[in-house]
Amino acid sequence: MNYEIVCGIETHVELATKTKIFCGCTTEFGGEPNTHCCPVCTGQPGSLPILNQKVVEYAIKAGLALNCKINTKSHMDRKNYVYPDLPKAYQISQYDEPLCEKGYIELDSGKRIGITRIHIEEDAGKLIHDKGHTYIDYNRSGVPLIEIVSEPDISSAEEAREFAEKLQLTMRYISISDCKMQEGSMRCDVNLSLRKPGDPNFGVRTETKNINSLSFIQKAVMAEAERQADILDAGGTIVQQTMRYDEGTNSVTPMRDKENSDDYRYFPDPDILRFCIDDEKVEEIRASLPELPFDKLKRYINVLGLSEATARQIIKYKKVAEFFEGALAEGASVKNAANLIVGTIFSNMDTEEEKELFDIRISASQFAALVKLADEKKINIGVAQSTLQKMLESGKSVDEFIKPEDLVGISDEELESLCKEAIDANPKAVADIRGGKDKAINMLFGYIMKKTGGKADIRKAEALLRKLMG
Amino acid sequence: MAVTKTEIEKLAKLAKLSFSDDELERFTAEFDAIIEFADTINQSIEGGTEQIRSVGARMVSFEALRPDEVAPSLPNDKILSNVEGYNGFFSVERSKK
Amino acid sequence: MRTGIAELASKLRKREISAVELTKTYINNIEKLNPTLNAYVHLTFDIALKTAEQADQMLKEDDAPLLCGIPMALKDNICTDGLPTTCCSKILDGFKPYYDATVWEKLRAQGAILLGKTNMDEFAMGSTSETSCYGAPLNPINTAYVTGGSSGGSAAVVCADLAVYSLGSDTGGSIRQPASFCGVVGLKPTYGAVSRYGLIAYGSSLDQIGPLTTSVKDAAIVFDAIKGCDKRDQTSVDHDYGVSLAEYLDRDVKGMRIGVAEEFFDGINPEIKSQIMEAIALFEKNGAIIENIRLPALKIALPVYYIIACAEASSNLGRYDGIRYGHRASSYTSIEDMIVKTRSEGFGDEVKRRIMLGTYVLSSGYYDAYYKKACLIREEINREFDAVFEKCDVLIAPTAPNTAFPLNYKGASPVEIYLSDICTVPVNIAGIPAISIPCGEDSKGLPIGMQIIGRKFDEPTVLQMANFYEQNSGIKAGVYEGGARA
Repeated sequence: MNYEIVCGIETHVELATKTKIFCGCTTEFGGEPNTHCCPVCTGQPGSLPILNQKVVEYAIKAGLALNCKINTKSHMDRKNYVYPDLPKAYQISQYDEPLCEKGYIELDSGKRIGITRIHIEEDAGKLIHDKGHTYIDYNRSGVPLIEIVSEPDISSAEEAREFAEKLQLTMRYISISDCKMQEGSMRCDVNLSLRKPGDPNFGVRTETKNINSLSFIQKAVMAEAERQADILDAGGTIVQQTMRYDEGTNSVTPMRDKENSDDYRYFPDPDILRFCIDDEKVEEIRASLPELPFDKLKRYINVLGLSEATARQIIKYKKVAEFFEGALAEGASVKNAANLIVGTIFSNMDTEEEKELFDIRISASQFAALVKLADEKKINIGVAQSTLQKMLESGKSVDEFIKPEDLVGISDEELESLCKEAIDANPKAVADIRGGKDKAINMLFGYIMKKTGGKADIRKAEALLRKLMG
Repeated sequence: MAVTKTEIEKLAKLAKLSFSDDELERFTAEFDAIIEFADTINQSIEGGTEQIRSVGARMVSFEALRPDEVAPSLPNDKILSNVEGYNGFFSVERSKK
Repeated sequence: MRTGIAELASKLRKREISAVELTKTYINNIEKLNPTLNAYVHLTFDIALKTAEQADQMLKEDDAPLLCGIPMALKDNICTDGLPTTCCSKILDGFKPYYDATVWEKLRAQGAILLGKTNMDEFAMGSTSETSCYGAPLNPINTAYVTGGSSGGSAAVVCADLAVYSLGSDTGGSIRQPASFCGVVGLKPTYGAVSRYGLIAYGSSLDQIGPLTTSVKDAAIVFDAIKGCDKRDQTSVDHDYGVSLAEYLDRDVKGMRIGVAEEFFDGINPEIKSQIMEAIALFEKNGAIIENIRLPALKIALPVYYIIACAEASSNLGRYDGIRYGHRASSYTSIEDMIVKTRSEGFGDEVKRRIMLGTYVLSSGYYDAYYKKACLIREEINREFDAVFEKCDVLIAPTAPNTAFPLNYKGASPVEIYLSDICTVPVNIAGIPAISIPCGEDSKGLPIGMQIIGRKFDEPTVLQMANFYEQNSGIKAGVYEGGARA
């Protein structure tokens, strides 16, 4: 039986502020247990929360980047439940007045996935279970989060993955989070139900957690959709519950849920004043946003003329895009800069992580200087590539490797006489060429390159050779 | 009775409290009276449709919120000073006789 | 008249007595009387003597603060770094915060000498201080009677001269009512005038810390020292009072408009009513204008208070689970079981009742009918007070509909006890300031308290009116015969 997938994704993003949402403790990752704590984030009696301005700013940035409407008046609510990692026995969150609402992310197909709301809240501590004990570290307690809830507009596993990928890229571009799923700074839960095509009603939905990468999102959606389809096909009903995705077995199983059907008894937190922001300030924040990834993609393709494949590779990493644009600003040509980045620089980076970090030893300026030499045909691409390699390894500028003398071009007369020389010195190759084996021209190229130390312009040489050979 | 024993048991579960059977009997009766007392507000003005957004009319502007500057955290031994920690962690045995 | 802060301060500077000697006198009397009165639950004599030595050094300087070297007490729900703070509850047995409440930080910096933490109703929930896990404090005026609550110990120590002044907390009357039962002065400041950081929370939108003293001037001096905006408490307000309130207490009451609302007097003890009327007559004789006003929402203020306070409390008390501080159950089958057992063992009956009520009024299905409705009515009450203060400068009302109850009064059901808060609770709902001052006694010799209520941040007027009454009525906080000094 064919079913329609109705899927929404709830994403928690850890904000990269310096301090926690309600106290001045550092949000730095790592640290010995319970060393980034104070009375506020450990829920000591008598402590009170003080809201961090940057958290509100970052949440608004997220909302603007996702095309949301910003609520200029907002407040915090208490979500009450008991669990050892929650020091106050309530999480300060937002219930009915989220900071941002009604936005969207556009997929490549043009389909828009709605963003219902974005709200701010605090993270809980970390639990570690041992044979007979539970250990608790509150370093993470109070780290600021935004929760981004999508509309159930996602209809396939691929769309789910694409949505999450675009969300991640956007959050990284506006620099509010590094959004690393494996490290927990971005956590996605998948809400999924099935229905028969054409049925306007929603089926019973489940929530699936413990998904630790973009590709697992795709796999989890498929696994859960299959699981539900099997049940429905057999005439059963779906139980509304929280599920857990297991990477090892690529399966989805019910989770012994700590929250059950808890009644959270939301009410406005009396310790935190309602806060407001004026429209001018929101516009100021909007103006401070960088060019967003998909606008950049369109510009690279339509204005700069890059191929879609190359453009996608460059925009995928904000630092790479900035590096690329930095080089262009110094006069480097689009084509050569892009090709050298994608060809040479990326080939030096094996992992995604390296590409994200883009921790290379040369600046955009130094790169631009090299690219311009190739642009001006003072060196050819082969030389550019090998020089770039040396620059990356040493961190030194192009002048260390290419002396001005090297740049003295081969004059046209010199080239012509060299071509004649090549023809004379390689009669067999010439004969082969005339006989149809065009590849033999490489022998002549090789001769010229050797004589010029690789500096000859091969295209010019080719034209001359062909003319000379008739 | 305005509030049933089942409802009290549900509340107790949410509040993480337990009552013996005797206590539950006594408590249900007292609680009933308290709810009747609380109910007197329903004889008063009609409830509005507005949501409660905050306590009181005071608002704080975005500019007046706390700046994102790190303040020193407290040392681990202070944080754990009211319990017996374990290697810097808070520690709870999962069951104990 | 008991020796007030200013007079003691002068004696200390003239070296008529040293801070150490003064402290030792108080220590001796606490050792003599506290075993009976049970007003203190934790004693801090070692620290007191050390601080007194430091105070004596500070007093050598010209600019030593007024409160330097003056022995005092704090209610057991105010956090003191390294010293027991238990809210008189088993669940916080052994708890020593590693941080100070802002009010204590301020007083400590001025050289205040802490003699100990005072007895209270568990988690400040009660009107008699009998729900304390340490047993009830006794009313020094007559030890067969309660001190009132929840700041019963704070009122008793001031009454019995076991401290020059004390701090209490007031959520629904917990400073004013025990002050009235023990015949001392108690001030509840405007909500937000004093920082709540370090006050163990009960009803977050209602709680305020305030002084209990033997004179209005002393209340003003202590309020001056503890008030002020605190960046650790977002609900504290940056209000500029301009001047030190203790220096501007004298005021001619001619032309002052005093509001008297009949709703406050509904069903109160006739002896109390007549004393308050006599007090009002004194103001009128001196030129004040008496306005008869109506506050119809007052009748509904009590259930509104209990719904809001208990809702907030049920959330505030969720954190007591034995994991990070306090009592932890010693046998259990799972962590959840540990938490349930810890809380069931650690909390007393009244606390449990209020947590359950709070949980109920916030729970889905009941939120609209109870919590949300109570909040809407709260706004209505605030509007009524705003309207009344257009016509009046202050209101005068009884502090309580009765004088002190006998100890272990078995007759009262929980709801009956709640009803005795009728005069004090509306003030917390509106967040306005009020003082209770002694204005006589009943036929049993038990003190009667009168409330003077003002506009937000108008403590100056409230204190001035109270001061006028104190100076002109001849009624002062009693000298307790068994006390330290006459």
